[in-house]
Formats: sequence, structure tokens, C-alpha cells
Amino acid sequence: MTTFKPSHGVSHPVVAKAKRTMSWRQRITTAIRRFALATLAGLVLAGIVHIVTVLLIPLLSERDAATAYAALGTGGQAELVTAQTADLPAPRDADPALVTAVCSYDLSAGPMRVVARVGSLPLGLSLHRRGGGVGYAITDRAAIRGVLEFVVMTAEQLDERLARDEEGETTRELRVVSDTEQGLIVARVLAKLPSDRPDAEAMAKGVACGLAD
Amino acid sequence: MRLLTLSYIIALGAGLGLASAHYAVAERPPLGRLQVGSWTAWPRSGGRDVDPYMRAYLARGVHLPLGSGEGLELIAERDESGQALDGRCRYLITGTTPTTRGWTLNVTDADGHAFRLPLERSGFTDAEIVRDESAGIRAIAGTTPEAGNWLPLPIRGRFQFRLRLYDTPISGHASELRPESLPRIGRIDCR
Repeated sequence: MTTFKPSHGVSHPVVAKAKRTMSWRQRITTAIRRFALATLAGLVLAGIVHIVTVLLIPLLSERDAATAYAALGTGGQAELVTAQTADLPAPRDADPALVTAVCSYDLSAGPMRVVARVGSLPLGLSLHRRGGGVGYAITDRAAIRGVLEFVVMTAEQLDERLARDEEGETTRELRVVSDTEQGLIVARVLAKLPSDRPDAEAMAKGVACGLAD
Repeated sequence: MRLLTLSYIIALGAGLGLASAHYAVAERPPLGRLQVGSWTAWPRSGGRDVDPYMRAYLARGVHLPLGSGEGLELIAERDESGQALDGRCRYLITGTTPTTRGWTLNVTDADGHAFRLPLERSGFTDAEIVRDESAGIRAIAGTTPEAGNWLPLPIRGRFQFRLRLYDTPISGHASELRPESLPRIGRIDCR
């Protein structure tokens, strides 16, 4: 018995030590597993945040062209963005040979009619939705008898108009659906020579945009 | 411990998610990019089927991209041998453009702005350029004046060529563009 006692006394701390190292190892593995799991969850969350952010930027941005030029062309006539008097940011990536005039629209009051008289210089009209992206583009080659004309409306307003159309009668107007209520109509005229610039400016400013009805 | 794990997940998710989103839309995204020879274009940036990254990029600044039927913008940052364009070199631009009603060729910085140079010429339109017997384009870009069509370059540093084709039938199916149908950018020599 006496021979056992010391050995027992010695073996007890060894077992405890082994137990302790076991628990340390276990603890480290659970910590690592937990860390890996948390990292994985973080990465999944990062993916969701990434997608949501990219989709939200166009909706929330206040630096886009439609916001910057919201005050231009509300009087029924397109206005030049290059006008030195207005304290407006210049469009980025703009061609110096282009003359750009803008009509901002808000379809909550009703559809808008855009009328442009074409001339000898190339003219392009495009619809830019609020929040980036071109909704529609047309050039003066589509003009009928020297006039390019279309009506911008929302999908609901198009339904209303279709319901109001006389049966069997064809409508002449070109209807363009905008999926946002606000946006810009951009008229661009290419001034091929510096001497064309006054003509190009007159053409761009001559684009009329008022309520359709 | 649980709170620590949760805050770690949220910090990682928000930080990495926002940072990667910012990085992805800070420049024109590689998604939807079309490379033809030295020229790069984003033909879908002017259509209804614009991808979300391009849309976010356009919404972050005052951008008025050309509509798909309106025209096509091509950007070159490298010459035909793949070397970055540098103001210390001279470049020869030769060739033709696809059928258009008008085109312009400009020298700009990385943001698309013209350089402030003593001479007020940053580009040519198709009406301004002087053509040779073959009716092709032949322009020399360099810091010092050249005979013929000369495009002044900044003294040093990177620049871009921007070719804009207006009212061109190719803008609807830009993926069919071939390097032969666009101007070539060859490096002549460097200082």
C-alpha cells in the first residue's frame, strides 16, 4: 500500500495534465472551427452587402446626370449644358465637338412630347433614366418631313393612352416608355467644324419638350 | 464570446462588401467590355440591357453615355503592340473607320478631359482631317509639331485616344467589329 501511495500521488497530476492538454487542444480546434465558420458567414454577408450596394447606388445616387441637370429645360425648351452662366458640372467623357442640350422630365404631371427640327448636322436624341442608363435613343435619320417627334410616358400612361385610342384608327405618334418617372432627354448635335457650332447650338436649343396633352 | 463572433461577422461582411462594391464601380467594369485591337468599348452601356455594375458606375457621376443607336465610343490606352500610350512618344494613327455619319478622334486624360495645352487642338472630326489619296486616316500624335494631321500630346505621362463613331450601323452589333476596320495606333519613336 505504501508503495502505491507515492505512485498514485505522482500519477494524479500527470492525468490532470493530460486532461488539461486534451482540453486545450479541443479548445483550439473549436476556436478555429468557430473562426472559420464566422469567416464563412462574414463572406456570405459580404456577398449580400456587395450585391445590395451595387443595386442601390443608381437609386440613391445624387451625383448622376439626371439630378445635376434636373433644373434644365423645365420651361419647355432644351437648354445647353455647356452654358457658362449656369454653375453646372460638365458631363464626363463628353466629346468637345458635340453640342449637348438637355430637357429634364417628370412624368408625374403627364406624358411629355419631344419635338426636334433636324438640319444638316447629325442630331441624336436619347432618353436617360434617373439613376443611369439610356432608355431610348433615336437619330435624325428617323425624322419624318424634317421633324423628329416622340412622346415619353410611363407604362401606366401608355395603357391609358392605348385605352383612349380610337378603335381601328392608327396613331401617328411614337411612344417611348420610361421605367422611371424622372430623367433627361438629351439632344446632341455634332459640330464637325468650329464654324458649325452656332448652327449646332441653335439646333440643340430648338428641341421642344412640353406636356403632350 | 457570441457577441464577439457576431460583431466579427458583421464587420467582415459590411467592410468587405462595401469595399468590394466601391472598388467594382469606381472604374468602368470589366463586365461587358469589348476589346478590338487597341480599342476598348462598352457597347451595352447605351442600351436598356446595361449591366448593374455599369449602371452603378454611370450613376456615380454626371455621365451621358451615347445611346446604342446614337453612336459608339472607343477608348485606347495602349498602342497596337500593347504598350501603354505615353506622352514622350510619337504615334502614327492610320486606317479607316466603319461606316458612320461622322466621327471624332481626341486625345484625353484618363477621365476623358482634354489636356490644357498651349495649342487649342485636342482632336479631329472627320470633316477636319486632311486625307491622302487612299482616303484613309493618317495622323501623327506627338509633342512637337508634325506635317499633316498633327495631334498635340502632353509633355509626358499617360493619355488616351478616344474615337467616337456617330450614327453608325455597327453600334448595334459592336461585337462584329474587327481590328482592321478601326484605326491602328503605331508607335514611331520615343524621346
